[in-house]
Formats: sequence, structure tokens, C-alpha cells
Amino acid sequence: MSQQVDVQAEQTEQTIRESLNQALYEELERDDSVILYGEDVAEYGGLYKISEGLYEEFGDDRVFDTPLAETTLGGSAVGAALAGARPIVEIMYADFLPIAGDHLINYAAKMYFNYGDETSVPMVVRSMYGTGDGHGLHHGQSPEAWFMNVPGLKIVMPSTPKDYKGLLKSAIRDDDPVLFLENKMRYGESGPVPEEEYTIPLCETDIKRRGDDATVVAIGGMVYEALEAAERLSDRGVECEVVDPRTVTPLDTDPILESVEKTNILVTAQEAPTFGGFGSEVAAQVIDDAFFYLDAPVKRVGAPFTPIPFAESLEEAYVPTAEDIETAVIDAIET
Amino acid sequence: MGNASINHRELLEDLLLTRRFEEKVLEVYQDRGIRELPHSSIGQEAVGVGACYPLEDDDILVPSLRTRAVMLLRAPLDEIVAGMYGTRSGPSNGRTTEHHMGSSEYGILGTTGMIGAHLNPAAGAALGNKVLDNDRVTVAFFGDGASQRSEFHSALNFATVQELPVIFVIENNHWTEASPIEKLVAVDDLADLANHGLPTKVIDGQDVEEVVDATATAAQRARDGDGPTLLEAKTYRYRPHAETMPEHRDEATLEEWRDRDPIELYRSRLLEEDFVTEDEIEEIDRRLQTRIDEAFEAAETDELPDEETMYHVYKDTEIDHWKGVVR
Repeated sequence: MSQQVDVQAEQTEQTIRESLNQALYEELERDDSVILYGEDVAEYGGLYKISEGLYEEFGDDRVFDTPLAETTLGGSAVGAALAGARPIVEIMYADFLPIAGDHLINYAAKMYFNYGDETSVPMVVRSMYGTGDGHGLHHGQSPEAWFMNVPGLKIVMPSTPKDYKGLLKSAIRDDDPVLFLENKMRYGESGPVPEEEYTIPLCETDIKRRGDDATVVAIGGMVYEALEAAERLSDRGVECEVVDPRTVTPLDTDPILESVEKTNILVTAQEAPTFGGFGSEVAAQVIDDAFFYLDAPVKRVGAPFTPIPFAESLEEAYVPTAEDIETAVIDAIET
Repeated sequence: MGNASINHRELLEDLLLTRRFEEKVLEVYQDRGIRELPHSSIGQEAVGVGACYPLEDDDILVPSLRTRAVMLLRAPLDEIVAGMYGTRSGPSNGRTTEHHMGSSEYGILGTTGMIGAHLNPAAGAALGNKVLDNDRVTVAFFGDGASQRSEFHSALNFATVQELPVIFVIENNHWTEASPIEKLVAVDDLADLANHGLPTKVIDGQDVEEVVDATATAAQRARDGDGPTLLEAKTYRYRPHAETMPEHRDEATLEEWRDRDPIELYRSRLLEEDFVTEDEIEEIDRRLQTRIDEAFEAAETDELPDEETMYHVYKDTEIDHWKGVVR
């Protein structure tokens, strides 16, 4: 009991921005083979200031700016990783990932399979997604579904400051290539982060809120929307279990299945268009392995099948919110 | 490097190994087929052989799918042939083709089926070696086709601005698949496409010692911390892009290049200068032929891999490969 109190005492309130910066700092300090590079990450500190101060601390051999060429970022990271370094590259917006797509899909994801001697590709690509800032069609898309179908890639989409830090540190230490997706709309969210060094394992689904009446599986920034929806539903006597997979691929399905077996209701939530998305895969996995536990059809919350629109009214209509999740849960329960 | 430090007989043997191997591949492919579609390097062996010669064993080579010499000079023969057959003694037990195999043990960086996609990874390997503070040089080989891709420019730019220890070697065999280079590129020398602030040199890809010398100079520059070099080796392939494609090129041009065959040029020069005798060459040839024949026999009787072999996708996470989820 006293130990728990101590752990509580050792937490400080941090924003996601701060926790990511600290994760990068700690890993650069821990391992000389870790390097961080990308457009404007060094002297400028990153477009969203995630790498602020790291260039000053570690010098331009370890933290440096690169040409505006995503093929160089993706490709050189693969080569550096194969040679034994642990590169972290920042690709400014996830919308730019397709430019490096060849190196992610055909190179990084396949070299462990291609090599016969256990050589793998320990690289991390950090990239930003997130809608709601009026950045329009090409600066906010959620790219997870573009890459989910690629065996060999790991895709991590954390939600809280504590998860962001612990998962980024694990991603850097992981021997497989990791696409680490950061929601740029949530960098300012704050929450408790342990002061002592810690990591959080990849590929482990977390339960963010307990509840017996409905399971909401939310990813990335939508975890906050799901938690808000759960609070509102609680006022109406409906207790939601909010499940946060944190790693999209490879997906840890057991906690999702266990939750659905308890609540008998499944709602999924993502920022990307619903069709062909993460929620569809979760639904399919549940239908495969827990179909007879479901009391109602699965509800998937996501964006419509359109590009992200620019005008304020259109963007508001586009982005999924807590209200959409609330409605989906009620619909499912009342089915 | 200077000719004094070249062991001529060894270099000739490297050339003969590559030529005899490629001849055997064609013979077996035409007779009874090989699972990996041959993309023959016959005619352009001196580029790979010459570039490998002055390097250290732990330097990293990044071959194109046609740089057969790199595979032959770095990996065991049995493994290479098994790699072409897709049998269990192959480089990844049959998971991949010999064309793109990678091995940290042999210092061969794995590649993909995308032409030129390995140029930025080659620069990245050089970056990795720079970070790890070792003395390794990385050498990337690619054809004229790759020089038409944006990868060529982004990799050269990055390597130059970061002063990376890497050598880029264009094996310009004048044909991009089935199209002549002059229809695809408006300069005579592909080296002229690169104005990125790095030294470039056009060399005779049929003259193995010229390739050795140019690579040795570039490797020294890289090891001295002075950055990358681009070499363009002019050469020609005697076979179509791949063995399934009919030959449609001009026979007269092909003959002109055959008159400057890289193996024959070097062989006759060594004979003329009494570095080697006809008998010695015959002896080398016989020995190589036996080794090659034995490797093919071994591959032809080797077993196919078990299904389990392909369940090798993540190093750090166990998954159910049919469900695609964590086990």
C-alpha cells in the first residue's frame, strides 16, 4: 500500500510535448547509437518543438537537420538501422509518409524476413496526424490504415503523456521498424507521468476506464473523446469500458475480446475514414472470436469517406467527437 | 591503389568466377529452368569485380540485382545457388531471392525489387557507420535506370551534405530494360546528371584495373572523412534485361562491345606481360568450373523449406501469422 502511495508521489504533471521531449532526451543519453534527424528537428527544435534543446545537448552528430526529402529520411533510416545504428526520423506530417512509403513498405518492413541472420531494422519514424486545426486536405490525415496491411511494420498510436513517453522509449529500443504516430492536436494535453525512468511495452492493449455496459475501442487522440463520452454516459447510468490498444499492429486482441465478452457491446473510434479502417479490423477480429457474445451490431465511429475538408463548418462535420461515440453506444445498447 | 599492389592472378580469377558462374546459370536455365529469373551480368563483370577488389572485408556492399560479382565474392557459392533455387540452404532459407539477399555476416546490404530504392539506404548505412565511428566504407551499385529516379538525386545530395563514407557506382550498360539510354536521358555521361558537389568520374568499365584504381581512390577519400564519390563505369550487357525478354538490340553494337570483353582484355594482357600462363589459366578455370558445378548439383538436390520458415516477420514480437495479431 505504501508503495502505491510512493508511486503516486513520484508522478508529475506533464504535457505530451514534454514527455516526448524527455523520452528522446533519455534515449539519446542512454545509447550512443541513437540518432535523431529530420526536417527542422535540430536548431529549430522541430515544427511542433518536440525535439527542442536536443541539438544543443547532443550536438549535430546525433541530432541534425536534413534535406526536404522523405525518401532520404525513410531510406537512410533503413540503411543506418541495418548497419547497427538506431535512427529516429521525424516526418513532419503523416500525410508525407506515402513519399517514404516505398522504404517503409518494401524495405523496412521486409528486411528481417529477407535477411537470413536475424538482422533487423531498429528504426523509428515519428510522424504527426490529427484533424481540427484548419490545415486542410494534406496536413492531418490519420495514416494507420495505409500501413496496417504491411507485415513487418509496427504502428504505435499512443494517447496519454505517460503512454507517449513509455511507448516511444520502447519503440526506440525495439528491434523492428516502428511507425510512431503523434496526434498534433493533443500535444498540449497533460497528465501524470512517472518521474522515475520507465518504459511501456509495445503491443499491449490498455484499459483506460473500467465499465460493464459497453466496450469502446479507441485509438490515438480518440481515446480522449471516448473517455469524455464515457463520463457523459455514466451520468445516464451507462458504464463504458474504454480500451486503448496503443499499438495498432501487431494488435493485442485478447483484452478487447475479454472486454466484449463482459459488456456484449462493441463500439470502435478512430479519426480516419471508417471504411477499411482500424475499427473495421477490430470488428472483424471480435466477430471471428467473440461473435456470440455480441448483443448488438458493432458500431464504428470514424470520419466519412471524403478528404479532410478545409472550411470550418465542413471540418466540424468531418471530425469524429465524443458526441458521436455517445450516440453510437446508445444506438448499440438500444438495438 | 596503384598496380603494384594488385595480385593480377587473383583479380583474373574473380573475373573468371563471375563469367563461368553466369554461363552456368544460362546453361541450366535454358536446359531445365531455375526458379529465380536470371538477369545476367555477362559483359559487365569487371565493374563489380574491380570495385570489390580494393575494399576491406567488413566494408558494406549494396549491389544491384545484376551485380553478381558482389554476391560471388562475398557469400558462399552453395548458398548463392540455393538462393536462386529457393531451397532451404539459401541465404534466408528460401524466404527471399538471391537477387536481393542481405547479410550482416557477408557485409551485403539487403535490397528490394524497386530499382534505385537502395541508394538512400546505402547513404544510411554510411551514416550508421559514421555514427558507430568505425572505418567502414559503403559501396552502392546501380544501373543506368536508377540514375533516372529521384532516389539518385536525394541520396547523392544527402551523402554529400553529410560527408558520408559512401561510393556510388553507376554500372552504365546503356540499356534500361529494353530501352536505349539515349532515349531516356539527354546527357552522354550519366555522371553529368549529378551536380551535387561531390567528385564524379567516368571510367572504362571493361578495364578491371581502372575500376580497381578509381574505387581505391574513392574508398580512401571516404575513409579520410572527405565524403562520397560517384563513379560511372561504361559497360554493356551481352544478354537481354532478363532471360524471358527477346533480344532486339543491334548486333553490330553488341559485337563492338564483345571485342572489348572485360575478361578477354584482362586475360590477354596478363598473358602478354607474362603474369600468368595459358596452363595456369586453364587450371584456374577447371577448378572454378568444378566448384560451380558442385554448387548447382547441391542446390538441385537440396530440400524445399518447411512452411514454418516464412513465419519470420517480427524480431521482437510473437504473432499469430494468420490472424495478424499478437499471440
